Amino acid sequence: MTAAVVITLLILALLDGSFAGFRASVGRTGLINHRQSDFQAARRGAGLVCALLAPAIAEVCVDLLVHPAHLEQYTRAGKAMLEVYGPYALLVIIALGCYAALDWRLKYLASALILGPFTLLRPVIAVLGGALGLAQGKNTAVAAAVALSVIAVLAVEPLAGRLWYGTKRRWT
Amino acid sequence: MAPRPLEITDLLWSVDADGVPLAVSKAAVVSRLTALGQRRAARIVAALPAPDGMLDLGHVDALGFRVHCELQRLGEELQLARRVPALLSPIVGMIRLRDSGPVRVVDVGCGLGSVLRTIAASSALGAGVELVGVDLNPFLIAEARRLAEQEGLTCRFEQGDAFEPELAIQDGARCVVISSGFVHHLSESSLAGFFAAQARLRVAAFAHWDIAPCLWSTLGAWVFHYARMREPVSRHDGVLSARRAYPAAKLQHAAQTGAPGYDIQVMEGSRWHPRALDVLRPIVGTLP
Repeated sequence: MTAAVVITLLILALLDGSFAGFRASVGRTGLINHRQSDFQAARRGAGLVCALLAPAIAEVCVDLLVHPAHLEQYTRAGKAMLEVYGPYALLVIIALGCYAALDWRLKYLASALILGPFTLLRPVIAVLGGALGLAQGKNTAVAAAVALSVIAVLAVEPLAGRLWYGTKRRWT
Repeated sequence: MAPRPLEITDLLWSVDADGVPLAVSKAAVVSRLTALGQRRAARIVAALPAPDGMLDLGHVDALGFRVHCELQRLGEELQLARRVPALLSPIVGMIRLRDSGPVRVVDVGCGLGSVLRTIAASSALGAGVELVGVDLNPFLIAEARRLAEQEGLTCRFEQGDAFEPELAIQDGARCVVISSGFVHHLSESSLAGFFAAQARLRVAAFAHWDIAPCLWSTLGAWVFHYARMREPVSRHDGVLSARRAYPAAKLQHAAQTGAPGYDIQVMEGSRWHPRALDVLRPIVGTLP
């Protein structure tokens, strides 16, 4: 169970990091063909979320080495987070599937109904999942890991924007 | 009637009769916005750099580029560059039936010309179609040219006034004039004149896409501009543009007044459900 929770959370973090990287990059250059830069941005986002999650992962590893009994609390916190992040991610993935599959006249429905509003809700969802995780953890080390993870996930988009897509005047 | 609120991007640039950029006083813009009760917009402008009280043109141009890139992104999400050729294809076909030779599509108020550049990249209107973008802002035109050149796209951009489209139109009978997200920038009193400028040249057709104003489009504009845009100016102007957009009846009346010989239709859906699919709808005029 613990392994499944950890793997699912990591997969969700990687997916979210990829999309955050994409959002940080898109709408910057004015070019019509930006497919390659979109994929590059997604890879950068995935890499960045891994780097930003490293402190939280390191903290969990060290704590579990010292206090193996904390594993159950981490699992409970992870499951609580997944109860929020899971349905959110599922709806986003379904909307992306619809976006890919629908005729271009209808594609915008997926954006209008799910992808756009859910992007706006994303910070709230991240914090809500973190709060549930904190409530389940009831332990300073678990709370620190949850807080570090939520901060890491929320930091990807602004940080990617600063690192790679700053407001350079490209025509000079 | 209360004056229409102003978009920030309508105030940051000014050009003289020859199209040369003029210095813009920050205090004048701030005071205009404040007088209209647009305190947030005034705060955004107040934060812009203005050595000697005049807005820093380099900074404003860079901001304009970013804002238009964000708009382009939103247009992509709205599938605008597919909606436009889908509507224009039969019109272009009709012109070809009447007359051989190239058909010209002129995009007035084209900004960075993303719609035309996308059509050029996809060849969505087929061969023998000339794509010409016109905008009053010389900086945006220069950027549109640069971007088209960078991607090797066959389209042309000219600095000019939407009320004097003859700059880009030599033969009205083989020309379609379009715009997207432009009409709401015009004052109500100048709407009829906008359509008249195209009718005067006897263009074969015009199609101008703009937001269909209603509660849903305002809500959608708020969600999308806050979810997708980074620049405070983009967010402010994007939401305001949904509020400033003209209802179908007003557009229809202005077009019938300005272009009396045209068959005119505002192609929008029912007012009684969320307009997810026709957030941007065109007013189309064709010369019988």
